[in-house]
Amino acid sequence: MQLKRILVPLAGTSVDPEVIRVAIGLGKPAKAEIVAIHVIEVRWNLPLDAILEPESERGEGVLDDAVKVAEQAGAHIETELVQAREAAAAIIDTARDRKSDLIVLGMPFRKRLGRVYVGKTVQGVYVGAHCAVLAYRQEETR
Amino acid sequence: MSDRGDNGRKDNPDAPSLEERATHSGTKIGDRRVRIVRPAASEFRRHGGHYVATTRVDAPQGKLGRAYQGVRRVLFGARLTSEEEAGERLSKKTGLAIMASDNISSSAYATEEAMRVLAIAGGAALALTMPIAIAVCVVLAVVILSESRVIRAYPNGGGSYIVAKDNHGVIPGLIAASALLIDYVLTVAVSSAAGVAAISSFIPAVHDHRVLWALGLIALLTLGNLRGIREAGVIFAAPTYVYIVSLLGLIAYGVFRILSGDVPDAVVPRDAFEPEGLELLTPLIVLRAFASGSVGLTGSEAIANGVPNFKPPESRNAVITLVWMGAIFGTLFLGITYLATRIGIAPDQSELETVNSMLTRSLVGDGTPFYFVVQISTAIILLLAANTGFSGFPRLASVLADDRFMPRQFAFRGERLAFSFGIIALALMSAAVLAAFHGSVTELVPLYTIGVFAAFTLSQSGLVRRWWRLRNPGWRLSMFINSFGTIVTGTVLVVVVFTKFFYGAWMVLLVMPILVGLLYAINRHYTNVHDSLTLDRPDEPIPRLKPPVVIIPVARLDRATLQAVAFARSISPTVRAVHIATTAESAKEFDRRWKRWTNEVPLDVIESPYRSLLQPLLRYIEAIDKRDDRPITVVLAEFVPRNWWEWMLHSQTALRLKLSLLFRPNTIVIDIPYHTEDTGHGVTPREPEDSSQ
Repeated sequence: MQLKRILVPLAGTSVDPEVIRVAIGLGKPAKAEIVAIHVIEVRWNLPLDAILEPESERGEGVLDDAVKVAEQAGAHIETELVQAREAAAAIIDTARDRKSDLIVLGMPFRKRLGRVYVGKTVQGVYVGAHCAVLAYRQEETR
Repeated sequence: MSDRGDNGRKDNPDAPSLEERATHSGTKIGDRRVRIVRPAASEFRRHGGHYVATTRVDAPQGKLGRAYQGVRRVLFGARLTSEEEAGERLSKKTGLAIMASDNISSSAYATEEAMRVLAIAGGAALALTMPIAIAVCVVLAVVILSESRVIRAYPNGGGSYIVAKDNHGVIPGLIAASALLIDYVLTVAVSSAAGVAAISSFIPAVHDHRVLWALGLIALLTLGNLRGIREAGVIFAAPTYVYIVSLLGLIAYGVFRILSGDVPDAVVPRDAFEPEGLELLTPLIVLRAFASGSVGLTGSEAIANGVPNFKPPESRNAVITLVWMGAIFGTLFLGITYLATRIGIAPDQSELETVNSMLTRSLVGDGTPFYFVVQISTAIILLLAANTGFSGFPRLASVLADDRFMPRQFAFRGERLAFSFGIIALALMSAAVLAAFHGSVTELVPLYTIGVFAAFTLSQSGLVRRWWRLRNPGWRLSMFINSFGTIVTGTVLVVVVFTKFFYGAWMVLLVMPILVGLLYAINRHYTNVHDSLTLDRPDEPIPRLKPPVVIIPVARLDRATLQAVAFARSISPTVRAVHIATTAESAKEFDRRWKRWTNEVPLDVIESPYRSLLQPLLRYIEAIDKRDDRPITVVLAEFVPRNWWEWMLHSQTALRLKLSLLFRPNTIVIDIPYHTEDTGHGVTPREPEDSSQ
């Protein structure tokens, strides 16, 4: 399968740099276009296009770091900052609009009640995406 | 799609912004999303409700720019952000090296300067050097005690200038500031001259080119300081401590030899003073020797002036450094003076060798490694002393610039957070003084001490008034200390002025009032400008202006003219073009072409029989201006060539006209550049053609 467009949602967790490197590795053979996306979830009591300064700043920081990781790996990536009510839906719709072949999701290693915890965004994208989805779980921390 | 401004308000939708928000519908109802598009995100980052320019904004473009930037990086180091200032602060150890080096290094020549005056009265008079040194140290102790009060009362620095201005008023403040500015310039000049003198003591060939050597040293210091104060401290801290340790070692060794009865033979100077003396030993000579020896007190104000340079707690660290400085200087000065007088060292009339060099040679022998350690570390610490001027002058100048007494440029911090403008100004002035006085320490010293004692006296007396006014707990003790300080420093000032007046002190007394007047005049200018620019109230409404009268000087009918006319019509319906022709034929020809091209913009053609261009244009603009009360706007079409060297092939008429109109009131000048790659922003000429002009 030739990967032409890869979408990499980033949440600003410790797994982000690894996910970027994985996406670059996967996209290298076909020189795929890689887009890193950060979704700011807007609470229902605020308008969707509300100016959320701290969240926007954090989002830009997450995407800037991603660009730096990509540059270190010798690749160029695009970035996109999005505000939506629910991250999963926004990721799926962005992937559809951008005609992405693959979504690479990162999961930080977390446990709840003794089991590895998979967040609702990862579950939502896994279930709802039209394209292939790769979930990269971080190595267990000791 | 919705466009919003940075504050969440609905802005003019036509106004471009650094951020656009586009709403996209989702697959399901309620899955709408807003895409935040920031095309210049890598150059302007959001932070705390505003934009912060990133390093990419300053990144040079083009090979030449990158090469220039590369050279700057090598010379001055990487740029520092404003937030990194705290990291540039000084610890007590580096603070001592940077700020106290001036005072400590005075021990390298203070003994000699006192001896040189006494030697005029004969060899026997040199015995008075020790009592004079003790008197100088007593004054130093008083100064240090008083300066520690200054630091506690004014932890934000500024030193004598701030203290005098706050408590005595603006003019005394400016007198203190001028005195200090002059003194910092002299610190650099004297210290670099003395540094070269130390080198020439063991490399005599240097003496013949001492001005050039000293200028080279000033250049080196300028470069070091432009890199930033912390790096300057790191570079120079080690030699300061080497000097202190080696001199203390020398003194300990000398005292040991004397106490053990092994007094060495004194090295005889190559050009000795007359042993019988040329003058009688009078009180005046003793006072002059004291005034010359007081050169050792210079530099003790630098710490009080630069308190904010220290790491927190700034005041405490500054006071500790000040006390250390006094203790070290006192020990070295008294030790050197004791050994020199006890062994019988006499100064060299032609400054061929320093007293310290002869003393070291007498004790440890000629050409021994220890001799070179002492001489080299002396030369280096004298350079560091010059560095005190580099840390004091720019900071004081920035404080004065903030108070609008000096040009604003002195308050700007460079890429390395150093006050680059002040550093360069100081370097140039001290180089000029050094060259004017042929790099001679003895010629420069009479100018030196007046400034510092004038500043001391003003700040001490200022504090007396402050304690009296505030009457805080413990005010009586503080007032007593500062009153005593005022009397002591004031007395020394009078002695220095009186005894050194004809030896060069008159120059300082002449320059100081001129400088005060200059600072005052600068302040008046800034105050006038401020008064005329300040809004009467914070919610001042934006005035509504009528569209201006637009005049377009036209040289020829081409794409650049077309673009300028199109722009002029976009800002006002009242547009007139004017063409200066050199002959009647070319005037008629241009008028014909213009009318064939457009009837929408009236054209005035002026024939200039003497081929002058600017004057007829300026008179025309004046004539139009008199007939209409609306502001005149001159729209200039300017062709911008692709390469810099192509500039020389064009007459630069637009540039000359811009300069002529720069100071004309009620006139707005708008430049419409036309680049060769421009397409006229969608406007196409109906008849592009060249006129004969």
